Amino acid sequence: MSLRTIRLYARAMFLAFEMTLRQNFTDMFVLFGIFVQPLIIALLAFWMLQERGSDYIIFVVVGSGMTGLWTTVLFSSGSNITRERWTGTLELLVGAPVPIQVVIFGKNLADVLQSLGSMLLSYTLAILIFGQIPEIIQPELFAVSLMIAVISYVCFGLIVSPVFVMNPNVQRLQNGLEFPIYILSGFLFPIALLPNWTTPLSYILAPYWAARALHATSSGGADFKEIALTWGMMILFSLVYLIASGKLFKTLLYKARVEASLLRQ
Amino acid sequence: MNTIEVCNLRRVYKTGIGVIRRKVKEVVAVEDISFDVQPGELFGLLGPNGAGKTTTVKMLTTLLIPTSGTARILGMDIVKGAREIQAQIGFVFGGERGLYWRLSGYDNLRYFSSLYLVDPEVAQKRIPYLLEMVGLEERGQEKVEGYSRGMKQRLHVARTLLHDPTVLFLDEPTMGLDPVGARELRQVIRNLQSEKKTILLTTHYMFEADSLCQRIAVIDKGRIIALDTPEGLKGHVRDLSVIEFEVYGVPSGILEKLRAQPYVDTVSVENRDQKQALLIHSPRGSEAVPDLLKSMDGLRVGNVVVREPTLEDAYVRLVGGKV
Repeated sequence: MSLRTIRLYARAMFLAFEMTLRQNFTDMFVLFGIFVQPLIIALLAFWMLQERGSDYIIFVVVGSGMTGLWTTVLFSSGSNITRERWTGTLELLVGAPVPIQVVIFGKNLADVLQSLGSMLLSYTLAILIFGQIPEIIQPELFAVSLMIAVISYVCFGLIVSPVFVMNPNVQRLQNGLEFPIYILSGFLFPIALLPNWTTPLSYILAPYWAARALHATSSGGADFKEIALTWGMMILFSLVYLIASGKLFKTLLYKARVEASLLRQ
Repeated sequence: MNTIEVCNLRRVYKTGIGVIRRKVKEVVAVEDISFDVQPGELFGLLGPNGAGKTTTVKMLTTLLIPTSGTARILGMDIVKGAREIQAQIGFVFGGERGLYWRLSGYDNLRYFSSLYLVDPEVAQKRIPYLLEMVGLEERGQEKVEGYSRGMKQRLHVARTLLHDPTVLFLDEPTMGLDPVGARELRQVIRNLQSEKKTILLTTHYMFEADSLCQRIAVIDKGRIIALDTPEGLKGHVRDLSVIEFEVYGVPSGILEKLRAQPYVDTVSVENRDQKQALLIHSPRGSEAVPDLLKSMDGLRVGNVVVREPTLEDAYVRLVGGKV
């Protein structure tokens, strides 16, 4: 692949990112998932956990923010292909020379970065409720963790979207998939509170490693070795998701061209 | 080398019927069609709804995989060379969908230019040029949701020209447009033809095919039933005259009775507001009128016109007078 092609692919991804962002800001459903729902969860969590000491404030800020991230990946990124199909633009994306994964990556990136607004909102809420600025113990490591977490969420979205398109029955369970991931990933309470048999399930979820990295770097108490492990796991899962999504998209597009399902009336 | 080469192309759709004991039903949309389109030619696919025009275009634009047969665009196979073909073709499907309504026309074009790997510097110059070409230069910054159907359709045409494709597939581009919008769009197509683009146009508007296309393939029930120039197609009915009877209701049995007359070639009915027009092709021309009136058994008849056949009449004859 030439340097020019890579540059043009990057531009396509950036424009997919920009256009998605602009469209999302006029979509009330997306805005609800990013701002209102995490705000409600944060309020409830602050109220329930306020007796447990000031370090729980940052835990709730990060945890409720991560619920926003997951909700966005599940509902917005998960429906990215389906939405294009309903608007009649999927045929145009498939018929264009840029691989559709590049476009969906850009769209997922917009969804995930936009949903970070929920973390910022929870942070502001904590300041208003407790009258103090919640402290992030290891800000540099937290920033790196957040960056890797964003990439792993985007890659996870690349799996979710084609799986939903190929298996409409799974997409019907979209609502049901929201809370189990909150719980299994330890967004708002440690997974040590769950039965032991659920632990392996947590380990195969990138959101779990993201939550572990972000909680560890914001609340403190973890050494660099442990944080590096979470980064490594997120990168590993991102690569697995990327490779698997390549196969999924190939199968999806071939199936769609055979079954004539690129367009829904 | 021909720009488009289609050889024995066939496409079957499978649909499920029933809930508990689900059966698979096969519908043949395109049945063994073959044709070539030369460089710079404006080629028409003419046929009624459901004839297989859109399926053909979707296969040629790499969006559908044929059940059997082959097709080549610019020498590349539509299945194996899909990615290479996509960079050199443009396509427009009729209707309002396929645009991002919450974005402006300009942003839609900017986005699609990136999907077609157009250099940003080129896109920056080309987008205003295309907006002007399709008459949207003053509305380009407005959101597409506020556009009329015709404006959306013209934006589609601009979108498809972003990467300056060699081959264009226009699938019923004037469908649903008002007469002015349709006329403007036809002018845009003529301009594209003068730029030596190879164009495959599907339509069910006869006058559109007649006025734009150099050659026309008439397609019905998935098969090509005639392929010629518009004049050549009209030759199919040159020996006939068309007699139009304005009538008020057509009782059952009357069409069969008329068709049974030895001097009648085809009979079709057109709805015109509260009235109908009975269109009868006959080699006897005006001489046949008294006999035809007798066969109508007291049917209330208004104006009677005898005229030369048009492409539409040729089409009606080719598809068996069912229009």
